[in-house]
Amino acid sequence: MKRRVSYADFIDILNGLLEKEQKLIYYPLNNGHLSNTSVNKDLKNFSLLNIRTIEPIKLLFFPVKDSLVDKIELKQRIGVGIKWCDIQAIKVLDKIFLSDYVDESYKNYREQTLIITTDCINPQQNCFCSLVGGKPYVEQKDGISDLNISFVDDNNLILESFSLTGDKFLQEYFNNFDEPTKTEELQRDSNREVANKKIFNHNIEFLKEENEKYYKTLKHTYEFDKIWDSASEKCVQCGGCNFICPSCYCFLIREASESFENQFRDKVWDVCHFTGYARVAGGANPRKYKYQRFRNRYQCKFVYRYENFGFYACTGCGRCIDVCPAKIDIRKVIRSLVLAKGEEVIVKK
Amino acid sequence: MNIYIPKNFKIIKIIEETPNIKTFTLKPLNGEKFSFQTGQFIELTVYGVGEAPFTPSSSPYKTETIDVTIMRVGRMTEVLHSLREGDIVGIRGPYGKGYPVEKFVGKEVLIIGGGVGLAPLRSLLLTLIERINEFKRIILCYGARTPQDVVYKYLFPEWKKVKGLEILRSVDKCKPGEWDETIGVVTCLLDKVQVDIKNCVAVVCGPPIMMKFTTLKLIDMNFSPAQIYLSMERNMSCGLGKCGHCQIGSYFICKDGPVFTWEQLKDIPEPFE
Repeated sequence: MKRRVSYADFIDILNGLLEKEQKLIYYPLNNGHLSNTSVNKDLKNFSLLNIRTIEPIKLLFFPVKDSLVDKIELKQRIGVGIKWCDIQAIKVLDKIFLSDYVDESYKNYREQTLIITTDCINPQQNCFCSLVGGKPYVEQKDGISDLNISFVDDNNLILESFSLTGDKFLQEYFNNFDEPTKTEELQRDSNREVANKKIFNHNIEFLKEENEKYYKTLKHTYEFDKIWDSASEKCVQCGGCNFICPSCYCFLIREASESFENQFRDKVWDVCHFTGYARVAGGANPRKYKYQRFRNRYQCKFVYRYENFGFYACTGCGRCIDVCPAKIDIRKVIRSLVLAKGEEVIVKK
Repeated sequence: MNIYIPKNFKIIKIIEETPNIKTFTLKPLNGEKFSFQTGQFIELTVYGVGEAPFTPSSSPYKTETIDVTIMRVGRMTEVLHSLREGDIVGIRGPYGKGYPVEKFVGKEVLIIGGGVGLAPLRSLLLTLIERINEFKRIILCYGARTPQDVVYKYLFPEWKKVKGLEILRSVDKCKPGEWDETIGVVTCLLDKVQVDIKNCVAVVCGPPIMMKFTTLKLIDMNFSPAQIYLSMERNMSCGLGKCGHCQIGSYFICKDGPVFTWEQLKDIPEPFE
């Protein structure tokens, strides 16, 4: 189902949801951050025009600290303006938290959240979803999204539902609007093409290769340890890239019960770059050197999860590049490995 | 069901194996039985202190209680060792994949243990003893640092009587006259063992360094990587393949292990520390 809506009408209707129905709405602010619903009574400073939010969307489903004991009654929530890179990350989190043993807390957050995605109309220098098989907009086949917002122009949006929940939402709140015309859809497609070109040009110095090439490049061989060593030289192990990464899912169980009758524990984000991350009692540490931990993070994204799921756990959002105090660029690290391995570098013009 | 919340167990018996190793016998507080497959592990909670993974050392045929043999080595085990009979601890599990006992049927089973690494192997051994006629031969090679560090001292006389089970033991060092068996690291026991390599599996558990050299030794003896079973231990935290701590290559030790063949691990960086 599709509807054409003006930007102003869209915000009005969301504001109505916020006021009348008291739904929790998480949305992108015009300063690039993700809104904090608890302090917003209206959609102040709402913007769909930026790239993904500075904060990763995993925060909605996998909070920094989450009680494992208390069962939370969740209100229905809406995440608006989520980009392809975060959708792909939710796919990774779903695989981890919903397969085999189901993490009830994560499942609860996911089920109570309507996901409204949006096109990226202006990808920035550090965006590289195109290098990991992605694109700056979401389609139905990408999954996860209930509803997508794309742009005819700065003032007109196309809303397209991708799920039954999305259908229902459109019917309920946007039924009075018209379907987009063919011309408007073509205009939307050409906007998407512009974004595609932009992201391609930002990454022209890096590789545009087959997906599994990264896998082969990063698959472990000991003779390249020295490259990992030099790539990680500037890394200060602050863990910023882990925390800001939309698909990093590691956590620690913090046991803090008062007694066996009064149990308490929570899960808290953890960081594989930290020295103690893999250390076992007695002090043995399977990754005691910095370069090993640094390498492990890349291999986790491009080798291990690829072997598990068939897709990369890196989604090309570029947050790790933005956040790194040592200015380490994941694309450059991979390129240095490709060059060292003497593999063909194909740049598609 | 909340997968992160433990069930309460009462400590009903504590055996002091060595100055820093104790075996705890635990019984479910709710009167339920506790079933596991040999080689699977549990997450044991000392409330308010922490949670850590251990492999039961008792027979899976015994479901009223479980035994865990634990070395005092870190913050959590330090407190655990101070607990008394009657105290309550938490248990989640069992988790992971244990020893594929069915695959051992009809074969010679060479078990190599080092130090407290004999704990999970005791559970395996008790399982094999239960069905001893189904295996061609069982050989246990056990090494400890000193005679005082040998665990389950009281069980060896019993095991030595089992027909079809051969036992070789070594200690790294000892005072003169203290030990009348082999002196040296556990791998030197393998020089004394004659096995039919084609029809044999090796099962190894011990500290990382011991696992490493034992694996190398077994390869040297012409064992194929698929014939070598290793009981890997990392800092499994959630036990459910989620928290990431025990990742080894694309495996989660808690979910895909803790028992692996060397075939699965040989191409992964730093399998042993």
